[in-house]
Amino acid sequence: MTDLSQATTPRPHRPLSRQAAMSKRRAQMRRISAESVRAVLLLVIIVIFLFPVIWMALAAFQTQIEIISPGWGFTPTLRNFDRVFSEYNFLRYMGNSFLVAAVSTALSLLLGLPGAYAIARFHYDWLGVVLLAARIVPGITFLVPWYILFSRAGLNGTYIALILSHMIVSMPFIVWVMVPFFEGLPIEVEESARIDGATMLGTFVRIALPLSVPAIMTATIMSFIFSWNNFMFSLVLSGDDTRTLPVAIFNFITYASIDWGGLMAAAVLITLPVLVITVFMQRYVVSGLTAGAIKG
Amino acid sequence: MATHRTTQTHTSLIHLRRRFQRLSFILPALIFVVVMMAFPVAYNGWLSFHEWTGSARRAPEYVGIDNYTELFTQSDRFFPAVKRTFLFTGVVVTAELVFGIGIALLLRDAFPGHTVVKTLILLPMVATPVAISMAWLLMLEPTIGVFNKILRDIGLTPQPWLGSQSQALWVLMAVDIWQWTPMMAMITLAGLLSLPEDPYEAALVDGASSLQSFFHITLPLLVPTLLTAVLLRSIEALKTFDIIYTMTRGGPGFSTETLNTLAYVRAFEYFRLGQAAALLVVFFAIVLGVSVIFIQMRRSVSMRQAL
Amino acid sequence: MFTSRFSVRSIFSLFVVVSLLLGVSPALAQGDEEFPISDEYAGTQIRIIAANHPWNNAIQRLIPDFEAASGITIRLESYFEDQLSQRLQIGLTGGTAEADVFMFRPLQEGLLFEKNGWVADLREFAENDEAWNLADWQPGPMGTVTSGDVLFGIPIVTERQALYYRKDLLEEAGIEVPQTLEELEAAAAALHDPDNGVYGIVLRGQRSAAVTQFSSFLYSFGGQWIDEEGNSAIGTPEALQAYEYYGGLLRNYGPPGTINMSWPQAIAVFAQGQAAFYLDADILYTNVTNPEASLVVDKVGFAPFPEGPAGRRPYSVTSWALGMNATSENKGAAWEFIRWATSPEIVRKMQSEFGQSGARSSVWASPEGLGGFPPDLAEAIVINGQTGVGFDRPRVIRVGEARDIVGLPIVVAIEGGDVAQAVEEAHAAFQRFLEQEAAEFGE
Repeated sequence: MTDLSQATTPRPHRPLSRQAAMSKRRAQMRRISAESVRAVLLLVIIVIFLFPVIWMALAAFQTQIEIISPGWGFTPTLRNFDRVFSEYNFLRYMGNSFLVAAVSTALSLLLGLPGAYAIARFHYDWLGVVLLAARIVPGITFLVPWYILFSRAGLNGTYIALILSHMIVSMPFIVWVMVPFFEGLPIEVEESARIDGATMLGTFVRIALPLSVPAIMTATIMSFIFSWNNFMFSLVLSGDDTRTLPVAIFNFITYASIDWGGLMAAAVLITLPVLVITVFMQRYVVSGLTAGAIKG
Repeated sequence: MATHRTTQTHTSLIHLRRRFQRLSFILPALIFVVVMMAFPVAYNGWLSFHEWTGSARRAPEYVGIDNYTELFTQSDRFFPAVKRTFLFTGVVVTAELVFGIGIALLLRDAFPGHTVVKTLILLPMVATPVAISMAWLLMLEPTIGVFNKILRDIGLTPQPWLGSQSQALWVLMAVDIWQWTPMMAMITLAGLLSLPEDPYEAALVDGASSLQSFFHITLPLLVPTLLTAVLLRSIEALKTFDIIYTMTRGGPGFSTETLNTLAYVRAFEYFRLGQAAALLVVFFAIVLGVSVIFIQMRRSVSMRQAL
Repeated sequence: MFTSRFSVRSIFSLFVVVSLLLGVSPALAQGDEEFPISDEYAGTQIRIIAANHPWNNAIQRLIPDFEAASGITIRLESYFEDQLSQRLQIGLTGGTAEADVFMFRPLQEGLLFEKNGWVADLREFAENDEAWNLADWQPGPMGTVTSGDVLFGIPIVTERQALYYRKDLLEEAGIEVPQTLEELEAAAAALHDPDNGVYGIVLRGQRSAAVTQFSSFLYSFGGQWIDEEGNSAIGTPEALQAYEYYGGLLRNYGPPGTINMSWPQAIAVFAQGQAAFYLDADILYTNVTNPEASLVVDKVGFAPFPEGPAGRRPYSVTSWALGMNATSENKGAAWEFIRWATSPEIVRKMQSEFGQSGARSSVWASPEGLGGFPPDLAEAIVINGQTGVGFDRPRVIRVGEARDIVGLPIVVAIEGGDVAQAVEEAHAAFQRFLEQEAAEFGE
């Protein structure tokens, strides 16, 4: 499956036999009304899924009075966003989230890509199983010992602790996506390279990796999103300086329980990057989700 | 003689070197696994036989299996949390599956704007759970929230939503369903599109209705994919934390407390680290058990289909 | 009833009486002499973790003066109470000495912090500081921050539970300010008018947050948390009455969603004019008298906590104190800040200008001590102080857990469930908890 967008894009139909074609024409009549039904249903579904996101965005531009009042109208204002940056120091937290997500993703790739390749080509299946266990084990099972061990090592509240903890989610995921992909690569190309004298590492870097760019894109994007959204690990392991966005906004609920506008503005700022990524990288996100699920 | 032995040594040296090279591919990952996974899990197991507040002044105290006995015989929050965890998981996964299949069916055929629709549907899943929970909190607020506003406007009674011990868990379930149905839809869609077309043509010729072909052809062929999807989703659902902790912290009362939030509270609010560790061991066992069941089901289905 | 019939003079003499009753000789109010601030730590930076609280808002305005005089830079971060507690515990357990100085609640985390060795002993600093004057501090509040010989904090806020009421609504309906809990319930019922957007009463209802406010009701019905032998006392008929009363008030006359409310949400309801009565800490009053946040600024009246069957027994506690991180590397500079923030001059300013009552006898004895509060609130403070109880939650080490246990019946009562059953179960759970603590912490 080298072209990942194919998985969820309907294919054009092959030509049919005459009998089937006639049945199809009969069905076409029914289909037109079915299609309008479908359009309506899809519209309803889209509204349901988008409603909270839209509501959040709308409230972010309203003042406290407008949010509280029973009416529906309002005039947009940017004051909430201004407050979020100036009073709540949001830029710093965005920087933290970005740093942790970028570095943990990069390190997970560094560890996970060769690992996945080895599992696929050298049959280290047990490693695959162990990493699968990482997906099953509840994160908090790691968190409690990490918390104790990190504090003994004086690492609590540092970027290192955050990055390492986020990797426990990214690395297994990357392996999970890449193993079937590497397995699907034609082995002949690699074999002929080996015969020509290439090293294992060389084959990996110069042949396997370039062929895997779409899958690597998927793995990277999903890892970044997971890290950006991560809450529990950051809640415990981050310090005042290294706090990431989800934790920052969580601290708002009780402080800014009256400041709904600010809260919504903060929420918009947090989700905007991942939403934008998803819109532009939709095919990678979709294949990231469906990876491994379709194998027959 | 000498040449033969040298060649043998030479070959085995090459093998050794190759083996080492191969190992070096997984070495970094392996180290990470040992340090960040195996060791902490083992430490957690050890800790579960001790009691500790986490303070450097007071060392962990060995208490044997007391923490486990406390969990199963004395704690009045453990079994309710287990029940709630299973209830939550069962309801949300089932709902997400059903709705997901429905949406996938709608998206099965190409139509203009197909990609746009697909993209929009992805958004609930990728939106940062903590942040989107804030939006939900605002919408569910009993006095100023939009849901009650609508209810009032159309003449129905406004509901307490998260302000009620009986409603809160169901509200959270709805949020989870809203969030994760797209994932089930995507997986099902991919599964649908990977199915062969021949059975359908044959069915069409035989005059089968779409409903019949769905239940007798599509569904059975989809079962492996669906099982995998249910497995993946169930594991995550059992561990749901973000939306629960953000929106209710396990309250009101304890009505939305699940195993994960209970473990968190025990560890990081009560600082009963030994008890928390014991709970985590049990929690892990539960999740593992559920996974094994689904994996076995998947395997037996694949085997049956292969025949 | 409690109008401004009392003259300033009689308030003053009432106060001397109160001070004598508290066993403290009224010290002469210090004049406006400059409190000496040393600049020997100039150039150091100290980090402070504080709670979202009016005291914090006030000190932030005064900090620039301190920074200018001492040369010390202050980095201050604020959190809501529960998060602060957690943040501190996680930080202190985890050894990330994030803060040099922190605000903490002696009744909530004081004992735990002390037992775990996380707070520095301030006795030496305090005893050798003449200008700061250790003797000026009231014994009650000092008691809550002392354990054996260790002085682990300096009190900064004391509070009592006051009755906030809407003067205009009471006048319109011709109702007198309630003196007893019975009258309170009747008045709330009479003023309860949800169709017109006014609820009879609003109170904290969240399982853990409500416990402290509920305590006054518990005591006033004759109940207590723990009896003399150290056993759970919440299974008594008096306690059950208190739970039913509190829950009943909210169930029948409260706004929707109270079971998720802590004070910011509850006081917002009152400040927006949606409730006729509100009972909570008196020092929160600035939230309703501040024109920027409140729609009922000139319509609020204050009264002492009403009398229950066992008398008027509201809590009268030291709610917040400043502590120093035991592992701080800037202890000298940290003490410099603490002594300034709790100096006679600052405490007087806090009390008279910002309405944050402290624990210095000299300040209470001075005319500005009460003068900064609205007159009816000042009276309420005095009256509450006379029969107040020094703690508003179970005196245990794991207070957070205890609050979760004893707070559950409140939630059940608000929702109209089987309160007797809930109380019985909470009583058993609390007893188990107490036995466990006794076993674990010995002594």
